[in-house]
Amino acid sequence: MPRNSHSDRDSEFVAFTRDHRRDLLRTATLLCAGDEAFAEDLVQTTLTRLYLAWGRVRRADSPLAYARRSLTHVFIDETRRAHRRRETTVADPAGELVAEPVVPGADPDVRAVVLAALNSLGPRQRAVVVLRHWHDLDVADTATVLGCSPGTVKSQNARALAHLRTVLGAADHLLLEVSP
Amino acid sequence: MSPTPHAKHDIKDVLGLVAETDRPVPTPADDLARAQGAARARTQRRFRAGLAGLAVVSVLGVGAATVLDDADQQTTQVSPGGVELVAQQFDAAPYTFDLTPRGWSVQGQRPQAVTIAPDDGSTSDEPDDFVGKLVIMFDANPPSGDAVELDGRTFWVSDSGDGYTTMATRTRGDEPAGVVRIQYPRDAGWDEDSMLAFLASVHVGDSARLGVG
Repeated sequence: MPRNSHSDRDSEFVAFTRDHRRDLLRTATLLCAGDEAFAEDLVQTTLTRLYLAWGRVRRADSPLAYARRSLTHVFIDETRRAHRRRETTVADPAGELVAEPVVPGADPDVRAVVLAALNSLGPRQRAVVVLRHWHDLDVADTATVLGCSPGTVKSQNARALAHLRTVLGAADHLLLEVSP
Repeated sequence: MSPTPHAKHDIKDVLGLVAETDRPVPTPADDLARAQGAARARTQRRFRAGLAGLAVVSVLGVGAATVLDDADQQTTQVSPGGVELVAQQFDAAPYTFDLTPRGWSVQGQRPQAVTIAPDDGSTSDEPDDFVGKLVIMFDANPPSGDAVELDGRTFWVSDSGDGYTTMATRTRGDEPAGVVRIQYPRDAGWDEDSMLAFLASVHVGDSARLGVG
């Protein structure tokens, strides 16, 4: 088995980071429901893990897909840790999130409502939504990433979408068009 | 995109509304420096673990069963932690290995599992105590973890979170049906490439039995 030097790993890592860091940060932002500091932590942790197991990244059919899976695992691990007592619901979600940074092109009110809706999902439900509808993974691949059965993915996805429809519809901003 | 009230939107578009961030992005050099620091810290941990193992040897001595080391073997792979795999077949019936880890010995062999321990005496003499050892297991539990393709076979790699990594692969078509897996301590000098090669070299004999657990 050919072995690459550390400098090869470093140059490959830098190129990968330059090309894909923003993609990973977008995914992390969704998983964290807009908590940008938490999202940045996830990305940094993920990149470090990838570097330490760079052979796995090299062997992956799609290094980016592998990195996204790793990111999801880091997210799930982090949300399990007791010291991260992040709220999954807030009393006034839209009010709490109105201070979110404004991103050019996005209506700040809509952004706040959508983030509040995502935030009101449990971490694994949010991960299902991100994997299924942001990364377009099918049920089987989503189940593989999350280490659960396809049936669990289907039920979590259905519940999450129903919840999002309700919350977003109630906010009178968006009617969600989704296929389960 | 500025949604109007009651307009219908695809969920992907909705997620796209909130995925972007204007947060400054660190440079790749920042990420590399952080990762290199983590790699150095890991190496130092392994070095300290190695010194601790040597200290135990000097006091207790070593009593191993089947010594797998041999001077005329061809080294095929050296992990960053220093463990060598040599192209030398050995048997631990009902399992056969095409590669041999230099400096490690078979300590226990059963139809369901093989235990391989380092010769440095840093682990217990009890074959069913897996701390610090390589354990090759055969069972019917579904494999889980990150899928890795190697030489036409799929391997699943998972970190247990307690300092050990487990790799699993399905047996070959001419072997008893099941999953063969290996568990190894990450601080014992092994790396993933070496361990994948070692697991790929395992052949499961007909008298192997599925373990429970």
